[in-house]
Amino acid sequence: MLRILLINDTARKVGRLKAALVEAGFEVIDESGLTIDLPARVEAIRPDVVLIDTESPGRDVMEQVVLVSRDQPRPIVMFTDEHDPKVMRQAIQAGVSAYIVEGIQADRLQPILDVAMARFESDQALRAQISARDQQLAERKRIELAKGLLMKMKNCNEEEAYTLMRRQAMSRQQKLLQVAEQIIAMHDMLGH
Amino acid sequence: MTDSQNTTRADNLAWVAGSDAPEKCMLNLGFMPLTDSASLIVAATQGFAQPYGLTLNLQRQSSWASLRDKLLCGELDAAQALYGQVYGIELGIGGPSAEMAILMGLCQNGQAINLSEPLKRVGVTSSEALGRHVRHDGARLTFAQTFPTGTHAMWLNYWLAAQGIHPLRDVDTVVVPPSQMVAHLKAARIDGFCAGGPWGALAVEQGQGFTLATSQMIWPDHPEKVLGVTREFVERYPNTARALTMAVLEASRFIDGSLENRRSTAQLISGSDYVDVPLSAVEPRFLGHYQDGLGNAWEDRHPLRFHGDGQVNMPYLSDGIWFMTQFRRWGLLRDDPDYLAVAQRVQRLDIYRQAAEALGIEVPPLMRSATLIDGRTWDGSDPAGYARSFPIHALAGNARAIAL
Repeated sequence: MLRILLINDTARKVGRLKAALVEAGFEVIDESGLTIDLPARVEAIRPDVVLIDTESPGRDVMEQVVLVSRDQPRPIVMFTDEHDPKVMRQAIQAGVSAYIVEGIQADRLQPILDVAMARFESDQALRAQISARDQQLAERKRIELAKGLLMKMKNCNEEEAYTLMRRQAMSRQQKLLQVAEQIIAMHDMLGH
Repeated sequence: MTDSQNTTRADNLAWVAGSDAPEKCMLNLGFMPLTDSASLIVAATQGFAQPYGLTLNLQRQSSWASLRDKLLCGELDAAQALYGQVYGIELGIGGPSAEMAILMGLCQNGQAINLSEPLKRVGVTSSEALGRHVRHDGARLTFAQTFPTGTHAMWLNYWLAAQGIHPLRDVDTVVVPPSQMVAHLKAARIDGFCAGGPWGALAVEQGQGFTLATSQMIWPDHPEKVLGVTREFVERYPNTARALTMAVLEASRFIDGSLENRRSTAQLISGSDYVDVPLSAVEPRFLGHYQDGLGNAWEDRHPLRFHGDGQVNMPYLSDGIWFMTQFRRWGLLRDDPDYLAVAQRVQRLDIYRQAAEALGIEVPPLMRSATLIDGRTWDGSDPAGYARSFPIHALAGNARAIAL
């Protein structure tokens, strides 16, 4: 039976992923919380596969595992290293990184990734929506508009208007765009 | 999918010169919650990219490895990166290998080695005391750094070795993302760490530790974070690469431009979307005011800086080569690479030069020289000899010493 070490130290719930993996016939060793001793845990458990969330802070520890095992008889190979970059892209977009121990057959990995990817599909859809909204280049027009309004209101030049807007934005931990919107809104409210 | 988004461009905002418009207009820019992400945060949020027809979407990352993977698979277009990390990827050390490019340096200085309160209580408050504690008291201490090929691993190793402590034999080393350092210190899982701001200052502020050494004590004005992309990105989108470099250069110049700009930058980046810590943990060291948690306070002569009239941003060949010499020294590289050739491939001097010249920023020579804490001078010449010149090292023949 394929033994999977599932690292879960993010806020994300992996209950469904774990259930799905167990249902698919894998032995899942669930590790949550601290990953600082990951190299030792991997050494002790000797899993066939380590599944680790890309958002996991423990991901950096995984680099150490890879390095430590470099000279061991069972080197850990990064799955994504020896395959089509498209697969790597998909796995990462799905929110999962997979690392495998040598000796595992590639066809057995596919179902693992399928399940993991299904689990994160909803997250991904949401992310795509957000990034689509981000892609509105209207942003720049709004900044230009606000700058123009400010130049008129304050009777200042372009550089001074920019500086004023930036000071305001930075002191409020905002984007320049947000300050631009406030200026436009204020201008509208005052009826020019 | 990635290309379709570039067709939308506001017509009245077209790049003046027309033909050198960015090929890709929307960029995902990765950063870590660190004080030295400032120039990227300022560039993306304060309107420095718009004049070049770029929109920068900031994406905060939780680990250096995740940032690396996303950069390699294209989910991030460009990212803040550890200088050594880029070379580690280029050389395929411990992870996937890929052709990488450094567009510019983002900062110098501002990292620190911090020890725990329990060590302070037993009087380990100096490098000499630490040496005695490790060598004579037989204490087995655990130090954390942020990434196996990263800058902090190299500063920690270099500093320990300069104190006569072998970093791979006399102490244990673990990897922890910077934002988790203080929690691990508090829980006594580590005895010390090397990381960038604000995490050293936060340890002091929370009474969890003290700063024993700053990275600028190890190497004044040392190279630290860089703007990293894949080589494929530069080759596919050269105009975008140049525009991005110009936007970040301008943001860097803005931050270093005045005390008021520095203060507002500290205020901005401490926000919850960015570094997410109290301003009090960011601002003092950002302005060069240091307190080490042992009762000492000073104005640092080499504080974190972002521009320095371009001296910070220049991707010096000698800086890139230095990290490879340390990889060699600590056994991460088993053979000498062609140091100069690798650096010439990675450091995109062509792009940097175009960007800097367009902004009237002076481009310094390709090599620079500095004397480090152990009295050794590094000037970029004879990297193989330099790597071999250290009394404490882990050069080939000792495979076990590679990572722990």
